[in-house]
Amino acid sequence: MTRAIRNYFVFLQRCVCIALVGDWRYYAWTGLLTAVSLLGLNAYCRQFAHGLIVTGMSDEVSWGVYIANFTFLVGVAAAAVMMVIPVYIYKNEDLHDLVIFGELLAVAAILMCLAFVTVDLGRPDRFWHLIPGIGQFNFPKSMLSWDVIVLNGYLLLNVHICGYLLYCRYRKTKPGKWFYIPFVFIAIVWAVSIHTVTAFLYVGLGGRPFWNSSIVGPRFLASAFTAGPALIILAMQVVRRVTSSSSLGLGSPEGGGAPSPPPKRRAATPDDFVLLTRYLPEIGSVPSEIRQRLLPMAEVLEVQPGDILLRQGETEDKAFFILRGCVVVKRQEGGRFRITRTAGPGEQFGEITALDGTPRTATAFAEEPSLVLSLSAAALRLLMKSPQVNKIVRSRMSERLLITDRALMTLRSIVQVSMLINVFLLANEVFKEFYSGNLHVVSSKYLFVGLKNHHALVPWIWTAIAFNLIAMVLLVLPVSRSLKWLNVTCILCIVGIWIEKGMGLVIPGFIPTPLGEMMEYRPSLNETLVCFGIWSFGLLCYTVFLRMSVPILQGRLCQENEGAPDQSSNAAAAGAAPRG
Amino acid sequence: MDQNDMDKPPSSPASQPAPPADAMGRRSFLRTSAVLATGLAALAASLKPLLEMNDFPTMERFLQKYYKEMTPQDMAKVLKRIEDEVEQQYGLRPQVRDLKPMAGVEYVYCLNLTRCIGCRKCVHACVAENNESHDPEIQYIRVLRLPDGSLDIDKAEHFYAPDSVPEKGYFYMPVQCQQCKNPPCVKVCPVHATWQETDGITVIDYDWCIGCRYCEAACPYWARRFNFTKPTIPKDRLNPDMAYLGNRPRRQGVMEKCHFCIQRTRVGRYPACLEVCPAGARKFGNILDPNSEVSYILRSKRVFIQLKEEMGTSPRFFYYFDV
Repeated sequence: MTRAIRNYFVFLQRCVCIALVGDWRYYAWTGLLTAVSLLGLNAYCRQFAHGLIVTGMSDEVSWGVYIANFTFLVGVAAAAVMMVIPVYIYKNEDLHDLVIFGELLAVAAILMCLAFVTVDLGRPDRFWHLIPGIGQFNFPKSMLSWDVIVLNGYLLLNVHICGYLLYCRYRKTKPGKWFYIPFVFIAIVWAVSIHTVTAFLYVGLGGRPFWNSSIVGPRFLASAFTAGPALIILAMQVVRRVTSSSSLGLGSPEGGGAPSPPPKRRAATPDDFVLLTRYLPEIGSVPSEIRQRLLPMAEVLEVQPGDILLRQGETEDKAFFILRGCVVVKRQEGGRFRITRTAGPGEQFGEITALDGTPRTATAFAEEPSLVLSLSAAALRLLMKSPQVNKIVRSRMSERLLITDRALMTLRSIVQVSMLINVFLLANEVFKEFYSGNLHVVSSKYLFVGLKNHHALVPWIWTAIAFNLIAMVLLVLPVSRSLKWLNVTCILCIVGIWIEKGMGLVIPGFIPTPLGEMMEYRPSLNETLVCFGIWSFGLLCYTVFLRMSVPILQGRLCQENEGAPDQSSNAAAAGAAPRG
Repeated sequence: MDQNDMDKPPSSPASQPAPPADAMGRRSFLRTSAVLATGLAALAASLKPLLEMNDFPTMERFLQKYYKEMTPQDMAKVLKRIEDEVEQQYGLRPQVRDLKPMAGVEYVYCLNLTRCIGCRKCVHACVAENNESHDPEIQYIRVLRLPDGSLDIDKAEHFYAPDSVPEKGYFYMPVQCQQCKNPPCVKVCPVHATWQETDGITVIDYDWCIGCRYCEAACPYWARRFNFTKPTIPKDRLNPDMAYLGNRPRRQGVMEKCHFCIQRTRVGRYPACLEVCPAGARKFGNILDPNSEVSYILRSKRVFIQLKEEMGTSPRFFYYFDV
């Protein structure tokens, strides 16, 4: 028991240490986020001292950009976990590693949500009045008390799932199904609930006809499912870039050398499999008759440093196992080559194309004189009939943390469908409001065309509608299959929905007031700084979470290399406090 | 975020000729402390505005119990503390009472729209009686000017300022807390800081409210007001006759609203807005007493208006006309 606790604390300590080290870009990025967070903290302290008068809010418009951001981020948090559905219910392997990133995004988003509601309170010092049992908790009558429960519950669920899965990866043990699968399913239902409850905060107010419409809940979900995955598409590309980048890999893949003669080839012999078994014991589980059938489909390459074994973009479908020597895998991105990884004896490469038929994602070349076993796709599948081999090959594939383009395309189709539904629901709402033309249309009039010479929101909402429509068109066109256009589309979705659902929903609900007074709202500088501060804080949290989880998922931070002056601590010695 | 520092063989410090261990330790110690010092300085600078704090909660106030959970002894202590605080701030010792609702009483307000002339005397009497903030300005009553013939609130003029009232072609409708039988504001409060008492008055525990303003969003009558900063009341304008759930000075960051002048009505007096009305448009009383003026009005008038009746809030505030 004490040992288990000790182990866990060592794990936490190492996670903290790794979050404190990185290259100059990491320091620059986290430093910038910290600085903006502190700026926000400063603005919040001013608000804490002088009251909400330093914001643009008034008795007329009593909620502003804080609650708008809160609403938007609840959607992001909900959508991030819904990524789980394709993985656990439809067994979509492409998204498997994205799940942890999605849940970590959910955790960061919920932290931001909690920060946004806290800064909106007039008396944050009385937060304890909200704690069930100690304070007075108006449950189940007040929707806000529901929100307190669902948001905190959601935070705990996701912290548990991510923490447990990452700790298992760290210890290289198999996660116990009962320790996380039930929670995953609860989290899926819970994700819907957090956003529905947040919608009900507004929908339940009969005195505000603009919100008192049953379509708000579905609209919230549709827009969340658009903006959330769009945000993940962008975040995952950043993760992919920075986790595979290297300044070592600049230049040509050949390392500047002259093209070498084609590698020597020969047919594979049973001895080659014996050699491979020495590094990869799982091969031993393959029955000898299958090995015999493999021989004609396999050959052995003898390569010299600089020899290219496979090229990025090609589709020939061989998979390779290294028998001796060392192979470097580099990815070309924007004219630069970045080292993805270095593979040694017993390790595989090229298996993704062999198994999925997708083009090569990187170029592989020999680093030293090496012996490589080359298998056809059919041979690899035959080999993987053995459960042990299948398991090790698959787990290595996921350890390499592939954020494949296919995974991004799966997310794209989610964004695509959600955006269509979102625009459709918005059109429904606009039709009902304007065609019936009853007295309740005033807020919509104010939002879309302006009312009694007040039209502060009109340019915003039309920008949002334009962004949403352009994004929708791009999403249904094949052009958004290219990452460049997909990224543009995602940014349009995020900005469009942030305006439509944040400012476009919260503010017009207050204008005109229930007594017909026109009073507009403009966020103050202080209020804006607080918002930037919270966003920076959330991004900082997400960055740190990724910094901790990526090496764990890649298997480079694990219990095995615990005591050793591990790779992570050579930098730690420079950046972090001296350890032991 | 970059992982190379881990991938590549230990470079900088280790691959160079190793400096003496203590020099290394000293250097990294210096660097760590420089980073820490900068961080702490930045943090301290960010926290600096807290020094301008208007209203730092003392431990006693921070831990104050919920109104309904206080024993009479607790309440006596709190009332004394409030009196001390008010005296210290305004130089005038008030009397703060915790007045309970009377048995067999349910208050109702009737307002005669034919008589109201839109002079806003009720607004200012209310401000004076209930110690409402002068800066920023808080008023519980909003008088609407409506064109004759329409009750469409979107046609209301809030800031009418003619040389004299009443104006031809308009009528006036003062709106304040409607003391609903089914109050949306009470339902939404996450901490039970606002509730309906047995005499029908919806009250607020100003020391329990967390300032989320959900009640303000929920109210269909725009009757609730928020203290966006510390309220200011000129010392010579303070009304020293105070009630805990009524007109005692509020703090920054909490809600307030009309409470039918609890400090007056619960000791048998009329609300300040009624007393000041020069037109006799306002009537107030106990609906459970069949001989009260309000009982008579509600019995004898054929038409009266509950504002936004379709909301189902069932206001205890009735508008009527002399026909």
